[in-house]
Amino acid sequence: MIEMILILLAPVFGGLIYGVERVVRARMQNRQGPPILQPFYDTYKLMDKQAFLVNPYHALLGIMHFVTLWVVVAFVIMGENLLYVIFLHLLSSIFIVLAGFSVKSIFSHIGSNRELLTIVAYEPILILVAVGFYMSVGSFEIDVIREHPSEILSLAFLFLAFLLIIPIKLKKSPFDASEAHQEIVGGAEIEFSGIFYEFLYMAKWLEYVFIYSLLILFAGDSLLLATLLFVGVFLVVNLIDNSTARVRVEHLVKIVLGVGLTLSLVNLVWLAYV
Amino acid sequence: MFEKYRKKSPWILHYNAGSCNGCDIEILASLSPKYDLERFGVVNTGNPKQSDIFLVTGPVTYRSRERLVELYTQMPEPKVVVAVGSCSCTGGVFRDMYNVEDRVDRYIPVDVYVAGCASSPELIIDGVVKALDILESKTKEMEFAKKLQNKPKIEDGIVSRKEMPRRVGENDEES
Repeated sequence: MIEMILILLAPVFGGLIYGVERVVRARMQNRQGPPILQPFYDTYKLMDKQAFLVNPYHALLGIMHFVTLWVVVAFVIMGENLLYVIFLHLLSSIFIVLAGFSVKSIFSHIGSNRELLTIVAYEPILILVAVGFYMSVGSFEIDVIREHPSEILSLAFLFLAFLLIIPIKLKKSPFDASEAHQEIVGGAEIEFSGIFYEFLYMAKWLEYVFIYSLLILFAGDSLLLATLLFVGVFLVVNLIDNSTARVRVEHLVKIVLGVGLTLSLVNLVWLAYV
Repeated sequence: MFEKYRKKSPWILHYNAGSCNGCDIEILASLSPKYDLERFGVVNTGNPKQSDIFLVTGPVTYRSRERLVELYTQMPEPKVVVAVGSCSCTGGVFRDMYNVEDRVDRYIPVDVYVAGCASSPELIIDGVVKALDILESKTKEMEFAKKLQNKPKIEDGIVSRKEMPRRVGENDEES
């Protein structure tokens, strides 16, 4: 029962995290910032706006992106298999890439290309994180991982690698090349408008819920550690977002694959032999 | 019930139609931490398909007029146009030059005029806040039009546009 309520309210939680984040970012820049409920005002406005339909598949793929992400978040909350969750999440990213390629806009194509490159960068690390959980806990089931004591010390390098990919998934500096708001005007989401853009906007909230719910898996069964991890990583990610510039997409792939993959492989070898 | 939240999320599209960059710098200043337009929910999107307020600076040059009209048509309804600076309101010092089309409202309808060369950030913020009220009233007008399309009120003398051609044809047959 409580799982059902959590699943239904998942976009609302994501919206609240996004709203708090905008305020926190504004306070870091020494300004007042929008109200905390700002994301909900935005969606309310987008409902009223006129929507341009570029082609039916474009709009449908955008909605499918949102729906699959919600299913992913539901699977995480219900405690399904971690590998399923990661591959289903890959499917939702593929939907937005296809949507980007289904229109003629050149910015949309560039955005989709960059999205694919970032998938190349972060997907191996996500899978290695799952493998790391399997080697230390002994199961891919999220339920089991949640009830197991925290393994963050033996998964320390994997945790660092996971920290590297959080800005990619949340489209934050320095790894926001796939969205790049003033450079390629939002990338794959450029041709969405009105109610169709609203689905993408809410998918962004679900992305927050997904990535932070994967993050607190590192805390195991300790609620205190989970809260500490969530608040700490939230602040660090926003601080880095405020203080760094965007890196080019090739450098993104190099940095994330070079540093992240090495860190996670070292950790796996350590788990296997030590 | 939620009516008052409608104007809380205006997203801005900023276009330079041949300005000297003075007003552009002031617009960016009003979005920066000191003046902080984001406290009204303003986001500088740069994407016409997702924006509500069109901030135009500068006199319209021959080169930029097609882009100006195209950007305007790509914005979804309801939308508000704010002409920022003397040049976009009247043509300013560039008026009657051989490569300049004087002012913005020769091409697209303008709702708010913000004077000044260059407009100060306070004036721009006032203009945007004024645009928010206009945006709200435009949203109401759109809803009224939708209601009319669904239920034409012929007894009030207001006829929906969907009905109009048919009525004209009927009258022709009678005469």
